[in-house]
Amino acid sequence: MPDMRFAPPNPLRIADRASGLNAVSVRSYNERLLLSLLLQNESISRFEIGVKTGLSAQTVSVLVRSLEQEGLVAKGEAQKERGRVGPPTVPISLNPEGAFSVGVSVGHKHTDVVLIDFVGSVRFHATLPNPAPDQNSNHSDFLETVKKAIELLPGKTHERLAGIGLALPEPGDGAHNDPTPPDLRYSALQEEMENEIGFPVFVQNDITSAAGGESMFGAAKPLSDYLFFYLGAELHSRLILNHQIYYGNSSLSFDVGIASLERNLQEINKPTEPLWDRAGTWPDYGKIKESWEASLVEQMKRSFNALAQFVEIKTIVLSSYAPQDICGAICENLESSLIGVKAIAGIITPSPKAIGAASLPFSSRFMVENKEK
Amino acid sequence: MRSVLCFGDSNTHGQMPGGTPLDRFGPQQRWPGVMGRELGPRWHIVEEGLSGRTTVRDDPIEGAHKNGRTYLTPCIQSHTILDIVIVMLGTNDLKVRFNQPPSEVAMGLGCLIYDIKELSPGPGGTIPEIMIVAPPPMLDDIKEWESIFKGAQEKSRKLALEFEIIADSLEVHFFDAGSVVACDPRDGFHIGRQAHENLGVALAREVEAIGWANEHD
Repeated sequence: MPDMRFAPPNPLRIADRASGLNAVSVRSYNERLLLSLLLQNESISRFEIGVKTGLSAQTVSVLVRSLEQEGLVAKGEAQKERGRVGPPTVPISLNPEGAFSVGVSVGHKHTDVVLIDFVGSVRFHATLPNPAPDQNSNHSDFLETVKKAIELLPGKTHERLAGIGLALPEPGDGAHNDPTPPDLRYSALQEEMENEIGFPVFVQNDITSAAGGESMFGAAKPLSDYLFFYLGAELHSRLILNHQIYYGNSSLSFDVGIASLERNLQEINKPTEPLWDRAGTWPDYGKIKESWEASLVEQMKRSFNALAQFVEIKTIVLSSYAPQDICGAICENLESSLIGVKAIAGIITPSPKAIGAASLPFSSRFMVENKEK
Repeated sequence: MRSVLCFGDSNTHGQMPGGTPLDRFGPQQRWPGVMGRELGPRWHIVEEGLSGRTTVRDDPIEGAHKNGRTYLTPCIQSHTILDIVIVMLGTNDLKVRFNQPPSEVAMGLGCLIYDIKELSPGPGGTIPEIMIVAPPPMLDDIKEWESIFKGAQEKSRKLALEFEIIADSLEVHFFDAGSVVACDPRDGFHIGRQAHENLGVALAREVEAIGWANEHD
């Protein structure tokens, strides 16, 4: 029996030097652990990685080196922290060009398609009318847009596309009049996309997507516990505890969203197109908007207070398709009536749901299931 | 105070290109000295560079004392406690008399890694940080050393990959000296004064990047 210490070396990573992203199965738990930390923090030193993961410095060294070679992470300049005795620290962060992802959000009125890089910057965005609801062969525009987004990637970076995230509304969201349940309607779409485009497609509820996007790339990045609202056609909410998005059986939503404002405006023949333009601004709708906002904030307070009986939450994050100044005003309104609570408007533009959808291939392929932190 | 052991051959000894083991760069000029300057006064540098040292091979001509493995144990025990052991070896294993492929040199290095782990000279009897440094590749023209090293040039260019594979599989730190320095044309396999400076600075940054908790002494 030979001494197995001196068997041929069995490298974890180095022998595998493909130019593109490695297959899903190859990525070890420890690599996912490390990438999770990097997706949750702007940058982090190898020492901090060791403290947070419990991995030895030598193991972290091997992991970081292989991820560097794969182009997923980049080493920063050494930094001398103020007040810290000892050597400077060398921060490690994600390489923006290390991976790309496409996000598709099928919304109330239209579909958003975005292409983001590894740190969440939007490289491409398009808005389309919704795909036809009832058959599989009529999505050519839709597929073309996704293909166009992929073609925008420079040269060899096609190999760096982690996948396509698809954010779909669920039955009970109320925004759809189609009697066919959306999950059935769109399961064909998912399959068609995988077959046509040849990349893995990941599907998620669209509100959960928006929360995920805000958590990974937006205003909620540093937060571990908060109540998340999405203001779309209706008002939706999710609870985030320890970075985990809770999504119970009930997908309760409230008809105090933009659709209710739209109805009120239509009654008095005011234009409603600006309501659905995230990048635009709303005209002065006067009292109608004020009373709508009051009832919206009232509902948000009710949700918050109901939750406060069970968990102590100090932060509210509001994400929306509505312009940022509108969201900012709602947050101020909330803060003034909920003492000690911080309300933050989401910062993801142009489409929080689509960008959240695009974060899904990253979390599925690069993160551990139970984010540890 | 932290301690680092620099275990190597003539390029750790500081032998001048084209010279003999007696022609040696000064303590501040050799890479261990440069690294010590960069790391600062909280680090103690132990220099252990022997001209002609191999990884695990008794040299039938230069002598059995060139065997890095037999010397490693007394050396490490002499210098405990060690926070990190840096090993830069491999070039001398490529001499014609040993007739070894690069992969076997890496296997030899693997033995040294096992020995260090077994000795556990780190604080409190732990395994210290271990950093494998692949020597810079030899130049094609190695002057009068051609007969001794015949064929070694090609092999030396493969050491970095083989060393990285062994460092990876045994989970230790790795640095490719060839990424920051080249050998000096005066003999084609020793590194010059500026290369010592560059290597010392680069290795100090690598040591720092490992990340160290604040000491409480």
